[in-house]
Amino acid sequence: GFPPPCLSRNPSFLGRVILLAAAAATLSSPAMAAAAGDGAGDFSFAAEYDGPPLPYSLPRAIPLDLSHIPLASLSSPPASPSASSSPLPVVRPLTPSSLCSTVHSHAHPVPRSAAPAPAGGAAVVDSPTSVIENHHAAAHHSAELPSSPSDVEGPDEAGRPALPPKPHQPVVTFAETSGSLLQTSDDEDEFEEEEDDDDDDAAARAARPRAAGQTSGSFSPAHIESGSRRGAKSRGCYKCGKGGGFWSRGDKESCLACGARYCSGCVLRAMGSMPEGRKCLECIGRPVAESRRDVLGQGSRVLRRLLSAAELELVMKSERECPANQLRADDVYVNGLSLLSEELVILQGCPCPPPRLRPGFYWYDKVSGFWGKEGHKPHCIISPNLNIKGFLHQKASNGNTGILINGREITKSELQMLKLAGVQCAGKPHFWVNADGTYQEEGQKTVKGKIWDKPIVKLLSPVLSLPTPNKAANQCGEEAVHMVNRAVPDYLEQRTVHKLLIVGSGASTILKQVKYLFMDKPFTVDEREDLKLIIQSNIYNYLGILLEGRERFEEEASNDRRKISQCDPSSSGRDESGFCDGTTQYSLIPRLKAFSEWILKAMALGNLEDIFPAASREYAPLVEELWKDPAIQATYKRRNELPFLPPAANYFLEKAVDISRPEYELSDMDILYADGITSSDGLASTEFSFPQMPFDAQGVDEYDPQDALIRHQLIRINNRGLHENCKWLQMFDDVRLVIFCVAASDYDEYYEDANGTIVNKMIESRQLFESIVLHPTFEQMDFLLVFTKFDLLDQKIDKSPLTSCDWFDDFTPLLSRNLMNGSSRSTRSSHSGATLSQMAVHYMGVKFKRLFRSLTERKLYVSHVNALDEASVLSVIRYGREIVKWEEEKPVFGASETTYSEEPSSYLADV
Amino acid sequence: MASVAELKEKHAAATASVNSLRERLRQKRERLLDTDVARYSKTQGRAAVSFNSTDLVCCRTLQGHSGKVGADELTLISLPQFWRSILRTSCFKPDIGIDIPLLLQALVIGRLSPWEGFLSKSYVYSLDWTPEKNWIVSASQDGRLIVWNALTSQKTHAIKLHCPWVMTCAFAPNGQSVACGGLDSACSIFNLNSQPDRDGNMPVSRILTGHKGYVSSCQYVPDQETRLITSSGDQTCALWDVTTGQRISIFGGEFPSGHTADVLSVSINSSNSNMFVSGSCDATVRLWDIRIASRAVRTYHGHEGDINSVKFFPDGQRFGTGSDDGTCRLFDMRTGHQLQVYSREQDRNDTELSTVTSIAFSISGRLLFAGYSNGDCYVWDTLLAEVVLNLGNLQNSHDGRISCLGLSSDGSALCTGSWDKNLKIWAFSGHRKIV
Repeated sequence: GFPPPCLSRNPSFLGRVILLAAAAATLSSPAMAAAAGDGAGDFSFAAEYDGPPLPYSLPRAIPLDLSHIPLASLSSPPASPSASSSPLPVVRPLTPSSLCSTVHSHAHPVPRSAAPAPAGGAAVVDSPTSVIENHHAAAHHSAELPSSPSDVEGPDEAGRPALPPKPHQPVVTFAETSGSLLQTSDDEDEFEEEEDDDDDDAAARAARPRAAGQTSGSFSPAHIESGSRRGAKSRGCYKCGKGGGFWSRGDKESCLACGARYCSGCVLRAMGSMPEGRKCLECIGRPVAESRRDVLGQGSRVLRRLLSAAELELVMKSERECPANQLRADDVYVNGLSLLSEELVILQGCPCPPPRLRPGFYWYDKVSGFWGKEGHKPHCIISPNLNIKGFLHQKASNGNTGILINGREITKSELQMLKLAGVQCAGKPHFWVNADGTYQEEGQKTVKGKIWDKPIVKLLSPVLSLPTPNKAANQCGEEAVHMVNRAVPDYLEQRTVHKLLIVGSGASTILKQVKYLFMDKPFTVDEREDLKLIIQSNIYNYLGILLEGRERFEEEASNDRRKISQCDPSSSGRDESGFCDGTTQYSLIPRLKAFSEWILKAMALGNLEDIFPAASREYAPLVEELWKDPAIQATYKRRNELPFLPPAANYFLEKAVDISRPEYELSDMDILYADGITSSDGLASTEFSFPQMPFDAQGVDEYDPQDALIRHQLIRINNRGLHENCKWLQMFDDVRLVIFCVAASDYDEYYEDANGTIVNKMIESRQLFESIVLHPTFEQMDFLLVFTKFDLLDQKIDKSPLTSCDWFDDFTPLLSRNLMNGSSRSTRSSHSGATLSQMAVHYMGVKFKRLFRSLTERKLYVSHVNALDEASVLSVIRYGREIVKWEEEKPVFGASETTYSEEPSSYLADV
Repeated sequence: MASVAELKEKHAAATASVNSLRERLRQKRERLLDTDVARYSKTQGRAAVSFNSTDLVCCRTLQGHSGKVGADELTLISLPQFWRSILRTSCFKPDIGIDIPLLLQALVIGRLSPWEGFLSKSYVYSLDWTPEKNWIVSASQDGRLIVWNALTSQKTHAIKLHCPWVMTCAFAPNGQSVACGGLDSACSIFNLNSQPDRDGNMPVSRILTGHKGYVSSCQYVPDQETRLITSSGDQTCALWDVTTGQRISIFGGEFPSGHTADVLSVSINSSNSNMFVSGSCDATVRLWDIRIASRAVRTYHGHEGDINSVKFFPDGQRFGTGSDDGTCRLFDMRTGHQLQVYSREQDRNDTELSTVTSIAFSISGRLLFAGYSNGDCYVWDTLLAEVVLNLGNLQNSHDGRISCLGLSSDGSALCTGSWDKNLKIWAFSGHRKIV
């Protein structure tokens, strides 16, 4: 069988919950202190309380974590290098200056836990008056308020053995416990603000900071600097020292981690750009003080005054979200085990998370979802069945009623509640309560009833401060777990993405153009480097093709000459340049010939790409020489007769000399002309959204604010490897539109397929188009056919008739009359107002539309583009966006397609 | 020019003779192979393993490959958008307006959801187990690799991929890193111990580039941490050194004995890690020796469709294949004989042939698990060629095509991944062990 999930974990419990002796003392009943004292023989400084349950709530001791110790900025470097790194700074007996700066800059937790230091470190250094005051105050406290946590240092602690300077485990406190030791300056402020009109108690509590403040005054002049600074810290701005006395709320901002306060003038200087929110520069990276967790992400008046709204929002966002400010999972103990980070995520991400989760000890009843602090009655009901390790302990809520719910002994108030709910509680039964409130006795199958059924229970629960279930909490566990799994945060950022698939010849140029149009930094350094290699190796390819052509031309030329000399021997003597002694104008000098043969051989073997980019440094001069050779130039002039030379070759061959140099830097235009995007030339995609302002204010388009929200993703796939049974096309079943590119100039171009037959490229495009349109994935997909390389078509349509492609043999443009009239072909014909090339594109569009309709019974959108022209690409992309929109809104305007035949660009007549 | 025509003629003649020889070979094989495993086992009196439907149960469902957002973010979607999506459905009748009952129904069954725009599609495409721990890595179309603890069904890592069109993933033998590949034509390696960056994204520790087509499958060489074999849509397989990122050798491509179509799957022999087989769209399986890249050791014919999955039999002497022709087959590695065809009887009302997407053998080899594109997952008795169980009919089965499956290294559990976004872990109820 499959082993059950491992639930037991080696509890490092004891190791974690070692309490400082001082803390043990704060457990505060004299008996307890004595118990701790007794145990001192075994472990001198720590004890875990395991006595009888106490009827009152226990304040927990503090974790003193170095990183938790609030440190304000030190004005002077610590006296000794160890001063700042010592785990318990106070223990060191030291120069007065270093001591006072550490002691007092640390607000009060430090002096407290420092109290057991040998011979009372504080007492030694502080002025006698302050010592007396301190002791007085402390003694006063412990006498008066034995359980108040603020009187940490009992007089009895003075004699305790020295604390070894030991890094403290983050043992934890409930932040709500009043007077928690971690309370920092903010609370202090309140004390100060209230102290005057407050009663004795408050005064007593305030005594401590006061005492600190007073001691500062008694330092010798030698320590004035630190002393005054310290004074400033407790009273005024930590930076400029101004603003002593009372702070009005709107004047200060304090550091979330150390509590240092700054006046509005100094905040920005002290906190810098606030990458983690309101923390002074020294505290960046430290966790926030627990007491201040509530204010995370809540802007203050000071900041609002100092920063613009957008900046404030940014700061607050980083404050809320930066990892250093998050609750640390191992500070939260549930059922006796500290949480793992995943568990914390589960806990916080569940539909009904515990409110205001703080570091501390909790118990959690997986079955019913009850949640509470350890030793307390349930505090709330959270989602049940969360996958959190650890078992609920019988004594988790410290009940003494003898009645168990899901294995936990309940408290008196719960018992009252059960009685109210009419549950039979005689005989100390053990109940099993489910998340929906149904309960049954342990060991029995019958459900006895539902606790929450009686309205009075819900009414009275708040009175007894017991929780009632939240509606969401009733979801079954399976669902809760499932909800948890969404916790991958960047989905929040995800907006609607319309995916547009683009395929076919010229697609990569369009993609590159789109990158230029919509992105600030279209190509990274790596991508440019990649492209450079592509261009450089391609130039050798083009040269190779030229050289091949040259060989052919040379052969032809010499054949011709031979023929001429054969059939007309008399003319053989005629002086024709280049025709003497067996050489033609296509002949190369031997050295170049060797080079050219070598290139041709490499090409034939197919490893040209492997050799060349690497060797470009070596061959650059040869390439230059070759390119400048009249034979090559002559061949280049006849490039139209080289069917395999791609049109882009002209562009690069013109710059061949530059490109072959190793120091060649490619221009934006080079990138657009380059063949492909990456060397692997697999899939490439780019995401963009139309900017807020429409590019051209078209009156027809009502501006839709939604557009800015919608992101578009243009995905280019390589047509190599696309075939009818192409499985991976399934991955694109969520695209909204397929943009199929056909090079308009392909109609008279040919290529040689694997079997060696010559295929017209237009026919090949048609086959590809058919196979994609018929692919099951794209059954219901909209297609936009884009004719690319319109500029090339424009150039050559005059010389090479469209009918040279078999498929277009019935192309009969109505230009003939004009032509006869002698007007130039490129001028607009009076008949249709279109140039010949436009008519040709129109005609091809109709051909494709017919084909598409015969295949799918649907309508094909057609457009054309010159990919080198930004505006034309933009208009095609906008057209694509409009199609997606139309298809979405189609039903609004009526379901039939006929309404749609009038859409823009329908100068291409519908078929 | 004449010579070209001559050459073509010769080539055609040669092709024809190769084909006739191949045909003769096939006939000869058929003559020699007068029986198959199933018939032989029957004569030996073997009976098929019998399972009832509760023997194998789905004990975990791993959910997480869903680009779904929680309820609190639903407000993000605008009303007009939702309106549009309503209008797109059949709930809207041009003549009568919106059909409210139909709309409610659509909402309830989830065909129409207000957060439609946020649902990214998350077909699970591939999964792999760690050899030691019970961890699973899965790759899905939501652009994530997720590492799961199969025992607790918790996610331990979620890696966002640069290119969401991922097709394969694999765990390194030491369980410290995962590899994945897809339409970006590269294989990316992630070290699971590396620290995520500020956005929580895991940095890529290495990218293996060089393929000229999509990476369809990858597998680490079992006893060598640093070696990885990939198969690709460029008709080749490649052996990589992960530490340097170098391609050590290429199998196929321009060499005449390589595959002639996209390679979809590889499997490395577990008893001799120098041998591996690759299955391809050319309906053949080829056996390769890592040390000899120049040519395939042997080519296995038999299937009539693309071979989607190959898997070595546990003893390393045989291997199984799953194909678009709807059959699984068992081949003998050394003789090249096709030992057995596992062909399911076609449903009468099932016009579309469902293809085998993925296969796996139990540890002993007695069971063959095969996932089909219609959501079935058959458990075959390899000896008797009988279907002993269909996981697709069990409780808690997948709702979509089974795209991948794999057995844990100790053989105690089977994990299936599906286009319904989920992975499920199947194990034996009771005390039985998978034989």
